Amino acid sequence: MQRVSFYDQISKNKRNSVLLVIPITAMVVGLLYLIGYLFAPELAFLMVLFGLFWMAMQAMISYQYGDRAVLSVMKAKPADPVKHVYLINTVEGLSLAAGIPPPKVYVIESEEINAFAVGRDPQHAAVGVTTGALENLNRVELEGVIGHEISHIRNYDIRFMMMIAVFVGFAAILSYLLLRGAFFAGGSRRRDERGGGMAALLILMGLILAVIAPIATRLVQAMISRQREYLADASAVELTRYPEGLASALEKIMNKNSGKMEVSEAISHLFFTDPKRSPLDNLFTTHPPLAERIRRLRQM
Amino acid sequence: MWEWILIFVVVIALVIIVALFFSYYNRIITLSNRIDNAWAQIEVQLKKRADLVPNLVETVKGYMAHEKKAIEMVTKARERMMGAQTVKDKMDAGVELAAAMKTIFALAENYPNLRASENFKLLQEQLDGIESKIAYARQFYNDSVLAYNNAITTFPGRWFAKRMGRTELKLYFEAAEKERTVPKVTF
Repeated sequence: MQRVSFYDQISKNKRNSVLLVIPITAMVVGLLYLIGYLFAPELAFLMVLFGLFWMAMQAMISYQYGDRAVLSVMKAKPADPVKHVYLINTVEGLSLAAGIPPPKVYVIESEEINAFAVGRDPQHAAVGVTTGALENLNRVELEGVIGHEISHIRNYDIRFMMMIAVFVGFAAILSYLLLRGAFFAGGSRRRDERGGGMAALLILMGLILAVIAPIATRLVQAMISRQREYLADASAVELTRYPEGLASALEKIMNKNSGKMEVSEAISHLFFTDPKRSPLDNLFTTHPPLAERIRRLRQM
Repeated sequence: MWEWILIFVVVIALVIIVALFFSYYNRIITLSNRIDNAWAQIEVQLKKRADLVPNLVETVKGYMAHEKKAIEMVTKARERMMGAQTVKDKMDAGVELAAAMKTIFALAENYPNLRASENFKLLQEQLDGIESKIAYARQFYNDSVLAYNNAITTFPGRWFAKRMGRTELKLYFEAAEKERTVPKVTF
């Protein structure tokens, strides 16, 4: 097997992420235009503008308040400066290695081995681990896991995924509107006679798009998320200079975790590994398979 | 007509060159500042380690009264550390202090009561933490130096760096890897 340097992996992952944003944006713009076309053809362009503006507003709100909401949903408690001194030291050490200010440290009461990172930028970030992780992982393994979360912060992954979630949610709303609109507008459309084959084709395309878009954007979202996980693994190795630590932490997770952590679907992508595991959702899962992550780490 | 096209092309080329110059200038300055910041982070940790000394001496004194030499050594090393002005002095004093503190923790093996005390355990965890933070801060320093040196030696950054009078390579921290082994007192 050819060895891949972590610098190569980082640049490759960044490129892939950017490439994946394009189809999502295209789909949202397409949906907006078709809705406009269906309801008020003269204002279709305005509709696109208004929609994008609306989306930007939504993105701003989750940008400002997203992390606080997430922390309270997770039932994360601030780490105790005496009891968790070792954890706090590890987080501070790795943030020094990454050259970012030390994030706040949280602990979640749970048997499962897991960790998470939130925050829009390195200045407003927090890292948390489960009590299960503190009990089961040794020093190098914990360093690997924390390194992974610190990398998410340094690479601005959390902000990036938050923005994508806004896009995906918006696409779902739009396609719902389009499908409803098609039933109501379908009858009246025929009266104005300027339709012809072209208009019918557009409407048909719109309907197809409306059905496909929510699924397709979810798929792309999951793909981007998986890319980012690989990237964070590679960056964690850049920080700890020890791939085996992270690999053996992942192995422990594979053997010990039951995959039944009580976490809402909406925030599961923020975690180190999927809190809930089911064999059916391979396409939609936000995390790559553990075995593949371990394989890539051992290859470095 | 042709003259206008020529002028247009020249103007575009000039704009590109100026933009490139700005971007390389900013990049080199940013990278250089990052090295200064990385050094400041190391200094913070060195100072924190020195600040552990009075507490350590206080804790240890009662138990190992006749290890005066070792205690004196730490206190001296700390004083030297606090008085150090240049980067090299600080680094040397830091190494000396680390060695002196390691000696104390090694000697503590002979004093079961000391090892069992909560205060001593906490000190040990703090020292472990600081030592690994120093190692990480050094790693970031060396990463920053690498980024800077690459920026001013590869083309075309090399050409811009020369115009900025920044041709001198920054130096790495040699001791980085050795320091990663934390003094560990076995129980």
